[in-house]
Amino acid sequence: MQIQRRMLAALGALALVASVAACSDDDNDITGISTDRVFVQVERLGNPLVSEVFLAKRNHGFHNAGRPSTDVANHTTELKAFVTTVAGRDPSVANTLASVLLPDMLIVQTDKAANTAGWLSWALANGYGGRKLTDDVVDAGLAALFGSLLSPNNVSPGLATDNVNQNDKPFLATFPYLAAAN
Amino acid sequence: MRYSHTRARGWFAVASVAALTATFAIAQRSNASDHQDTPEVELSPRMDVNDVYAFPGSSADRIALVLTTSSPITPAQSSAAAFDPNLLYQLKVDNTGDGVEDKVFQITFSGSGANQQVAVRGPVAPAQTGAMTTLVSSGPVVTGTTNTNLGSATGIQAFAGIRDDPFFLDLEQFFRIVPDRKPVSGPLSQLPDQPSASAFRPASQAVDYLRGINTLAIVIELPSAMLTDGGSRKIGVWGTISR
Repeated sequence: MQIQRRMLAALGALALVASVAACSDDDNDITGISTDRVFVQVERLGNPLVSEVFLAKRNHGFHNAGRPSTDVANHTTELKAFVTTVAGRDPSVANTLASVLLPDMLIVQTDKAANTAGWLSWALANGYGGRKLTDDVVDAGLAALFGSLLSPNNVSPGLATDNVNQNDKPFLATFPYLAAAN
Repeated sequence: MRYSHTRARGWFAVASVAALTATFAIAQRSNASDHQDTPEVELSPRMDVNDVYAFPGSSADRIALVLTTSSPITPAQSSAAAFDPNLLYQLKVDNTGDGVEDKVFQITFSGSGANQQVAVRGPVAPAQTGAMTTLVSSGPVVTGTTNTNLGSATGIQAFAGIRDDPFFLDLEQFFRIVPDRKPVSGPLSQLPDQPSASAFRPASQAVDYLRGINTLAIVIELPSAMLTDGGSRKIGVWGTISR
């Protein structure tokens, strides 16, 4: 945290210097917004569930302002602790989840067959990975955390699926893929 | 975050349910692990990334990326729903395996209502990596009106606008299992204050809480080679919102 704050402060100072230096140019991007304006990240999301499931609320700002390159160092301990302590699962389950969810990015193997796409399929089956609109990530997460997907020990069968397995409206076969608004 | 804009959050909620139902001791611990986002994001749904998706596009060499925000939007609210012109929405791609963005899309909006305009810049190397960002001054850009398919179906194609929320889960049953998580207003607040269930409902009774609910979506499709840039075909994708 301390280091993170220092880095942000340093970046801020640099950005300020850069923007002052560039003021005379008043550069605008193609849409007319100044390229001098410094935007500060307030929200970040890669995999579904990482911040919301495993990290305490007090650490959400830390995660939101962070970057994948420091996720393993910053969030592994807390993620594993949730799995072993709150969910009561074996350390092997915690290790597996940490290894596939951190750094917090959707991993895509773009050279794999399209029909192997699906959340975490890059790790589970050396597939395309990514995340499809049809993926039931809630059930995938529940099955790993409370079901027998990763370990037969200490399962909670009634919590291993929410029994909502698909969206209420069919997705489109063509761009932009999401169903029209209701 | 709002209790119901619960994509990834819903997941957390569900996880907490299980934890809470396990033992009281565990419940204490789980309460300490709140699923809500930071107060600022909770109070500003437009600062919230609901979900990020990445999946094969219209042909084997194309990839589609999706970022959703601002759910839940009811049909009655939908005609007035718009992206925030003061925010910078980004999709970021690491193509070297180090967790640092090598290619980014920078998406901004201007105006409001039916004539809101979107600008999708990228894919392009960012001027800076990390949490502080300026807009790129060059690179590909697709511009046009929201709720319209923009760009080229063989190049960079973009859409930004209101769609059905693609996320699905039984949030109502969750609040029956863990009523202390339920919201203070709205229909879900009327559920019993004491736990009235200890497991999810059977498939015949389970309900997608986000049925009929809309979200603001940014969809981009392009040749995946524009993201891998001649290097590894394995990439990492994430979304951010900045102000």
